[in-house]
Amino acid sequence: MTAGTDVAPVVEARELRKVFGPIAAVDGISLDFTPGRIYGLLGPNGSGKTTLIRLLVGLARPTSGTARVLGTEMPERQVLGRIGYMTQADGIYADLSVVENARFFASMYGVRDRTAIEEALDLVDLGGRHSTPVEELSGGMRRRLSLACALVHRPRLLFLDEPTVGVDPALRVVFWEHFRRLAADGATIVVSSHVMDEADRCDELLLILNGRVLARGSGAQIRETAGTHDLEGAFLRLAGRAAPAAEAPPREAPPNDREGAAS
Amino acid sequence: MNVRRVAAIARRIANGFKRDHRSLGLLFGAPVLVLLLLGWVIRGQSSPATRIAVVNEAGPLGAVIVTRIVDAARTGGLQVVDIGASVDSARAALADDRIDVALTVEPPGTPGSTGGPVIELMTPGVISTDDSLHVAAVQRALADAVAGTGAPAVVHRVLYGSPDPDVLDSFAPALIGFFGFFFVFVLTGVSFLRERVGGTLERLLATPVRRSEIVAGYSLGFGLFATLQVVVILMVAFGSLRVPAIGPLPEFSAGLGIANAGSPALTFLIVFLLAIGAVNLGILLSTFARTELQVIQFIPIVIVPQALLGGVFWSISSLPDPLQPIARVLPLTYAIDGLRNVLIRGEGLASQTLQVDLLVLLLVAVVLIVLGAATIRREVA
Ligand SMILES: Nc1ncnc2c1ncn2[C@@H]1O[C@H](COP(=O)(O)OP(=O)(O)O)[C@@H](O)[C@H]1O
Ligand SMILES: [Mg+2]
Repeated sequence: MTAGTDVAPVVEARELRKVFGPIAAVDGISLDFTPGRIYGLLGPNGSGKTTLIRLLVGLARPTSGTARVLGTEMPERQVLGRIGYMTQADGIYADLSVVENARFFASMYGVRDRTAIEEALDLVDLGGRHSTPVEELSGGMRRRLSLACALVHRPRLLFLDEPTVGVDPALRVVFWEHFRRLAADGATIVVSSHVMDEADRCDELLLILNGRVLARGSGAQIRETAGTHDLEGAFLRLAGRAAPAAEAPPREAPPNDREGAAS
Repeated sequence: MNVRRVAAIARRIANGFKRDHRSLGLLFGAPVLVLLLLGWVIRGQSSPATRIAVVNEAGPLGAVIVTRIVDAARTGGLQVVDIGASVDSARAALADDRIDVALTVEPPGTPGSTGGPVIELMTPGVISTDDSLHVAAVQRALADAVAGTGAPAVVHRVLYGSPDPDVLDSFAPALIGFFGFFFVFVLTGVSFLRERVGGTLERLLATPVRRSEIVAGYSLGFGLFATLQVVVILMVAFGSLRVPAIGPLPEFSAGLGIANAGSPALTFLIVFLLAIGAVNLGILLSTFARTELQVIQFIPIVIVPQALLGGVFWSISSLPDPLQPIARVLPLTYAIDGLRNVLIRGEGLASQTLQVDLLVLLLVAVVLIVLGAATIRREVA
C-alpha cells in the first residue's frame, strides 16, 4: 500500500505544456504524485487547473512534455478504467434518474457489481433518491451525484475538478472525510479548487497561476515561504512576486518588490 | 467492441425517451397525424361536377358537334351552363367563376386543325391542378361520347396498384422514408448536442468507452425507435381494420388501407439503414451547433432539399436536368425509391434497382458513421 517513500509515483508529469492559440493554458508543469495522498491544485479561474487535469486524464494531448499515469504514458484508453474523473460541469444526464445515471457510468467502466453503485450513492447521501429524475435535483444534489458517478468503479486515482462548489458546508465535511478514507486505502486524489479555505485538508498543495506552479508543499510550508498567516495572503504575495517575472525570462527572474508593476 | 457498453448507451437513450413524452409524441404521434390528415385531404377531396359552356363558332357543321358535345356532357355527369352564344360571354362566365371550362367549336383552318373543326378548351388558369381535374373530366365525357360510334375507344390501365388512382399509394412510401429520416435526425442531433454542451460527452470520454461503442449505441438506440416508428406508420398506412359503429360513433376504419405488395422485412431494412445514416448525420452536425435551436436550423438545409428532390412529391426524372445529379446523391432518394419498389411494385432482393437502393443506403450510412465518429474526439485511441 502506502509504505515507504520511494513508491513508484501514480502520476508523473514532465514539462507539460498545452497551448491554445496565443494562450499557454499549462506552461511547463512537472509533478510527481505518490499513492495514498491528497493533492490540491489551487489557483484562480483560468489559471489552467482544468486543462492540467485533462492532460493527465488523456482528454487532451500536450503541446509538449509527457504525462505518465499509473505507469502508462497518457493518452491511453485502457488506463481510464482505473481513473475517476469528476468534471467541473456536472456531466450527468438530466433526463435520467439518479440510479440510472450511476448505473450508466458503471456500465461504461465495465462494473457489474451493484453494491459498488449503492455504496457510491449512499456516500453522497442520495441512497434514498434512486428514482428521482435529475431534473428535479437541486444544484448541490447534482454535484453529489456527479461525484458518485466518478466513484462507481472504485478508482485508484481520482481527479476532482472543483468538487465542493455548490455543496453545503455540512456535506463538504462528509466529502472530505470520505476523500481521506479513500486516500487511507491507498487511492491518490487530486482536487482542484479556487477557494483557499479547503486547501489545508490536502497533504500537498500546488499553487497555480497562468499555467505555472507558483509554489508547492503543505499549507504550512507555503505560508512560511510567503511569510503570511493565511493561504490567501500567501497566494497574493507569491503571485505579486511572480507577475513582473512574466516579462522577463521565466523562472530565473529573482523575486523583487515591484508590487506596483503587477497587473 | 464491448456489447454491454453499447447496450448501456442504447438503454440510456431509451430511458431518456421514457421521460420525454413530447419527443415520443413527435416520433409516433406526428407522422400518424400527418398521414391521416393527408389521407383525408386526398381521398375526401370534393370534386363538384364540372361546369361547362359550349360556344359554336363554326356555323351549321359546328352546331351538330355542339349538340353531340352537350349530350355527351350531360350523360357524362357534367353540368352544362347556358351563358349565351358568344365567345365573349363564355370568357365572362369563366372570369366570374360561373363555369370551369369553356368549349368553343372553331371552324376548320384555325391553327391546330387537321382539316375538321377544332374544339378549344379554355380554363381560368388560376389553380392549375383544378384546371387539370376539370379538363380531364371533360375529356373523359367526350371519350364516352365517341365510344360506340366507331371511333377508337380510350381505356386506361396501370401496371401496379389499382386503375382508380389513389395518390396515397405513392405518398405512403415517401412519407415513411421522410419521417424515418427527419425525426431521427432531429432527435439525435439535439441529443448529441446535449452530450457535447452538457459535459456528459467529456465525462463519457473519460471512461474506457470506445468511439465505435458510442456510435453503435446511438445507432442502436435511435434505430430501435425509428423501427418502432415505422411499425406504427405501416399499421396506419396499410392497416384496414374496420371498426363497426358503436353507439353514436360511426363506423370507421383503423388505418388508411393503402394497397401494398411488399415484404415487411425489406421495409425495415431500408428504414433501418436510413435511420443509421440519420443518427450519424445528427452526431456530425451537432458539432456545428451551439444550441438546440441551431440544430433545428439545419432542417431547411438538410431536410427540405431532400423532401423536394428526393421524390416525395415529384419523380427524379421529372426534375430539371441540373437538379437530377443532386437528387441522386441524397439518401432519401434511395430510401423512397427502395420503399416504392418494395411496397408498390412488391419487389424482392432479386430486383436490381432495389439492390442499388440498399447498397447506396449502406454506403451513405458507412460514410456518415465514419464522419460522425471523427467528431467524437478524445486524444486516446
Ligand atoms: N479548449 C480550449 N480552447 C481554447 N482555450 C482554452 C480551452 N480550454 C481552456 N482554455 C484556456 O486556457 C486557460 C486555462 O483554462 P482552465 O484550464 O479551464 O482554467 P481553470 O480550470 O483553472 O479555471 C484559460 O485562459 C482558458 O480560456
Ligand atoms: Mg476549471
